[in-house]
Amino acid sequence: MDNRLDKLFLQVQKPARYTGGELNSVYKDRDKVNIRFAFCFPDLYEVGMSHLGMKILYGMMNDVEDVWCERVFAPDQDMEALMRQEDIPLFGLESRDPIGTFDFLGFTLQYELSFTGILNMLELARVPLHASGRGDDCPLVIGGGPCACNPEPLCDFFDLFTLGEGEEVNLELINLYRRHKAEGFSRRRFLREAAQIEGVYVPSLYEVSYHDDGTVKAVTPRDGAPETVRKRIIADLDACYYPDRFVVPFIDIVHDRAMSEIFRGCIRGCRFCQAGFIYRPVREKSVDTIDRQSRTLCENTGYEEFSLSSLSTSDYTGLTELLPRLLDWAEPEHTNISLPSLRVDGFSEELAARLNVLRRSGLTFAPEAGTQRLRDAINKNLTEEEILGTARKAFAGGWTAVKLYFMMGLPTETLEDVAGIASLGQKIVNCYYDNPDKPKGKGVTVSVSVSCFVPKPFTPFQWEPQDTAEQLKEKQTHLRQSVTTKKISLSWHDADISYLEGVLARGDRRLGAVIEGAFRRGCKLDSWSQYFSLEAWRQAFEEAGLDPAFYANRRRPFEEVLPWDHLDYGVTKEFMIKENQKAHESVTTPHCRQQCSACGAARWKGGVCIENRQNPVQ
Amino acid sequence: MKTVRIRFSKTGRAKYISHLDLSRVMQRALRRAAVPLWYTEGFNRHPYVTFAAPLSLGFEGLRETMDFRLVEEMDYGELTRRLDEAVPEGIHVLSAADPVMKPGQIARARYRLSVEGGLGLLAEFLALPEIPAEKRTKKGGMKTIDLKPALLETAVEEQEGQTALELLLPCGGETVNPSLVWTAYGAFSGDSRPAAVLRLDLYDEAGNSFA
Repeated sequence: MDNRLDKLFLQVQKPARYTGGELNSVYKDRDKVNIRFAFCFPDLYEVGMSHLGMKILYGMMNDVEDVWCERVFAPDQDMEALMRQEDIPLFGLESRDPIGTFDFLGFTLQYELSFTGILNMLELARVPLHASGRGDDCPLVIGGGPCACNPEPLCDFFDLFTLGEGEEVNLELINLYRRHKAEGFSRRRFLREAAQIEGVYVPSLYEVSYHDDGTVKAVTPRDGAPETVRKRIIADLDACYYPDRFVVPFIDIVHDRAMSEIFRGCIRGCRFCQAGFIYRPVREKSVDTIDRQSRTLCENTGYEEFSLSSLSTSDYTGLTELLPRLLDWAEPEHTNISLPSLRVDGFSEELAARLNVLRRSGLTFAPEAGTQRLRDAINKNLTEEEILGTARKAFAGGWTAVKLYFMMGLPTETLEDVAGIASLGQKIVNCYYDNPDKPKGKGVTVSVSVSCFVPKPFTPFQWEPQDTAEQLKEKQTHLRQSVTTKKISLSWHDADISYLEGVLARGDRRLGAVIEGAFRRGCKLDSWSQYFSLEAWRQAFEEAGLDPAFYANRRRPFEEVLPWDHLDYGVTKEFMIKENQKAHESVTTPHCRQQCSACGAARWKGGVCIENRQNPVQ
Repeated sequence: MKTVRIRFSKTGRAKYISHLDLSRVMQRALRRAAVPLWYTEGFNRHPYVTFAAPLSLGFEGLRETMDFRLVEEMDYGELTRRLDEAVPEGIHVLSAADPVMKPGQIARARYRLSVEGGLGLLAEFLALPEIPAEKRTKKGGMKTIDLKPALLETAVEEQEGQTALELLLPCGGETVNPSLVWTAYGAFSGDSRPAAVLRLDLYDEAGNSFA
């Protein structure tokens, strides 16, 4: 194999994507391990290697003596063509063995647009695409990650899914598998028993029936599988496994730095944000743990930068204690700290200067919506005065560029809200020119980036119709016409790609045929706009006799059985209905540290749900 | 501040580390080895590492060199040992020493090109009065050069079904990449096999090993 691969490596772009051998990658004796696990990321190396979840599970599984976990990414076009031409099956980067002979193929489901990429990787691995077509000698194809909260469109292709956080449940699955392998593996028996593990969803054990109008009638478990499958969470992050080293890539990747996770979940409850609901409740790591883990990671990787990772860095309660602690060792070692999703306004000037907060990231805001009314409707607790105040401060400090992130197509949005995006941008431009000390002869740039809102399962907007691509394009035109200054530069996401994302996010099992149809028509890296083909997807829908608008553009009544209703992420449907109604009344909900809104996540009795709140009820 | 020159080999999987990436790999290895590194001043502070002669992607090298700067003295044996532990698979740090020559003194490089089987037309090829080859210029254009005078020394060795062609080529000023020679041989003989390329050493004008 090595000789044949060597020939390929010399003919492709960036061969170091496929060679393995990076620092801290793990090698074991294939004759001495019992269980082979391929951690598959259905996108290119540069994207997959930036993903923290893979680093955690890779390290954790390889700590088990008889398990060898390897990395597998989607090959780029040039490599794939050569692999098909030379008849080389998809291989693990470490051993270079074909992954079709492994025990597990574990796919991480990070975004809907990677679904066709999964099929492509299965085909390259020469594993039957359909779970029903796999014999006892085929690997178990399993999936986890955020899209596992509605895995229904993928049910044809997966043996099982794990819901929620993976650290514990993956080891439990491996332990069960080890026992079955020793006793003689039968896929059916294994899956039936696996379904008894909390957090494991075996789709073949659930029958879905439909009404005549295409909506789901019922989801019925069999063979003792539970009625609802509840996600897993890690109760104590300080006690939880965290890698002391990352694989350090040779080539430049998207996020080429060490990462320290500081908490999971988010207190904010922005109504469009799936992550804000499915990772509840908020659980923090202690300052000591973060300090120790960050330092160890930097020592073992040699990284010159590490970032604090979470959904909203500013909400970490120990931030003002943590940052000086980190800086005390990072500064002398010339190690930078990067702080994504940070609110700049909360810092003393001295700390801001030590962190070089502005120097590196520039000034960015995510107001998400252009008017206060719409920001209230989506529960984005950011006021215009806060935005303008911070912009003024930054301009006074000599800054001349601001970046703003918005969404378009939000529920209850009117053309007035769309125009509000332009006027908020204009107000920031005015702030700049109102500053008497502005640098002479220098203009200001306000970059406005607008993405398209996609309703997601397990959010209060899961029932909302998504704007059609035509509606979105109309709003984009309106926005363009509302901008009257050259100081504002506009950019947006492709409305067609967002539309497909919306269809897949809230799809049911019947979409399996559509995904397969699109894959047969050449779709495999849909998140890369140069490879995306809406036409191929249209044909696939037509062939399957399904209408994408049924999934994306229809308002779903609260009574309707949603395709993911048999999965339980803690946050109750009652809470989400209440949140949806409040959105339509533009009423906000306080965040978890201000007041408990009884979302349902308190059943785990962890994190913010039990911590002493400073202001118990407001 | 003082400059150190290390010698290292880069073989196996490490041959796919490009020149640009190697610089990052080495900077991180130096940090892992906790070497008292000198950092550049200014906006984006980073350790200062330089390589005397870049090695093409896919080539192996036995005696490559890298220079960097220390802010304080460090025992070279200790430095060699710690850095060798910190580099990825395929790279081996062989020694550390004070630089003797300037990188500009490099004039030649010796390569070994290996293929499976024999090289039937090699003698005829090497006996050609002129060996024209297309070379990319720094401005991105192409020009035709004669490789014949660039073949400073050639030697052939056959062993266990493998043929090795050793070449001494100009390096530094008018560098000639050994793949040019291999491509020219392929055009002459119709042989399309890829050759594994190993750089053995770098020399100055007088033929002294670069030190």
